[in-house]
Amino acid sequence: MSRVESITKPLAMTGTTTPEARVATLEAQLKEAIVEIAELRARDALKTQFLANISHDLRTPLTAVITHGEILRDGILGDLSPRQMESVRGIINGGRQLLNQVGEILTYARGAANQLTIVPTRFGIREVLDQISTLNAPLVKKKRLTLVIDAEPDLPPVMADREKIAHVLANLLGNAIEFTPTGGRVWVRASRASLEKSEQIASVLVEVGDTGVGIAAEHHDLIFREFAQVDATPSRPHHGTGLGLTIARKLVELHGGRIWVESELGSGSRFYFMVPFEQTD
Amino acid sequence: MQGHVLVVEDSELVASALSVLLESAGHRVSIAGSVAEALALSPAEPRSLVLLDLTLPDGDGLALVDPLRALRWNNVVALTGHDDPDTRARCISGGCVDVLVKPVPARELVSKVATWLG
Ligand SMILES: Nc1ncnc2c1ncn2[C@@H]1O[C@H](COP(=O)(O)OP(=O)(O)O)[C@@H](O)[C@H]1O
Ligand SMILES: [Mg+2]
Repeated sequence: MSRVESITKPLAMTGTTTPEARVATLEAQLKEAIVEIAELRARDALKTQFLANISHDLRTPLTAVITHGEILRDGILGDLSPRQMESVRGIINGGRQLLNQVGEILTYARGAANQLTIVPTRFGIREVLDQISTLNAPLVKKKRLTLVIDAEPDLPPVMADREKIAHVLANLLGNAIEFTPTGGRVWVRASRASLEKSEQIASVLVEVGDTGVGIAAEHHDLIFREFAQVDATPSRPHHGTGLGLTIARKLVELHGGRIWVESELGSGSRFYFMVPFEQTD
Repeated sequence: MQGHVLVVEDSELVASALSVLLESAGHRVSIAGSVAEALALSPAEPRSLVLLDLTLPDGDGLALVDPLRALRWNNVVALTGHDDPDTRARCISGGCVDVLVKPVPARELVSKVATWLG
């Protein structure tokens, strides 16, 4: 039995006779467990820091690759033939995609190390919805999806970190598009709601829904965990970091809000998140 | 408007990509790979601009803003890999005229450099 197992499994009582001896054994095991947990925590923190450092450092060579690609694409060194152009675009797109994935890892690692801070400004949620839908328009078109954006009229502006709310929306909408087969429907709705904690807190409720593949109930918790994907086999049709929802949850919780999913296998998904209109403290 | 651009950047890969880009746009480009190299420079000519990386092997890039000013390199733009609001605020209060996050799209950088060189 490894030391980790000895912490999590029920303690064996074999060989002990007197209650005092048993207590002594338990106390010794407890002390060992406490030391072990502290060690694991320290190692976990080291790995998180490593992840943050390495993902930051990866951006440097990527910057060089993308910049050189753009120099060629933009004809700065002369015109390219159509085939050369196609190839150079491939380099840039690959580089940009890699940069995004590295950025997600960096955000995740910062979140895990509690290095993310909320910088609230006042803005209309509608603007952010429009911005995200514009960014996703090419993909929506390519998959022949219908995307509907709908915000309740007279929705008051929110006091929140605009970039982070946009990030949450981008991850949810990105998933909705990704996991919805050609010809399906995807929607984003914003409305007023109240978050129940000790008291009712006026909040904005955002729903990102799709008519896609859906998620079985037993996976509803799993998908919010780091690196988790419902189909994580190497031959899976979809490639991602498995961090999108973990990051979304972290960013929503930093705002004092919450995020959840309603879905069944085969009948689409609806992701919801709620964020208070005002950031207290 | 063409001028002299000083790229303070410790990554040779990034520095050379930037110099290909900016030289093609007609600018003269100098590269400094560290705080020490930047401090050894001669005073700036009339139309000049600094693109400043923040994490340099021998110190914080922002510590260069004032000494570079003394050499009449007045136009300093931070070019950083950190895209968080704290970094942005630190650059602006440190005297940078703008903050760009790497990688800046090639065309955008060329047009911004032309604007700053005024
Ligand atoms: N809209 C959706 N429809 C179906 N499955 C989804 C949807 N959104 C997320 N999932 C499932 O949750 C997993 C985790 O999502 P996410 O954290 O964004 O990571 P990634 O997209 O990189 O796999 C996905 O791999 C997928 O199995
Ligand atoms: Mg995802």
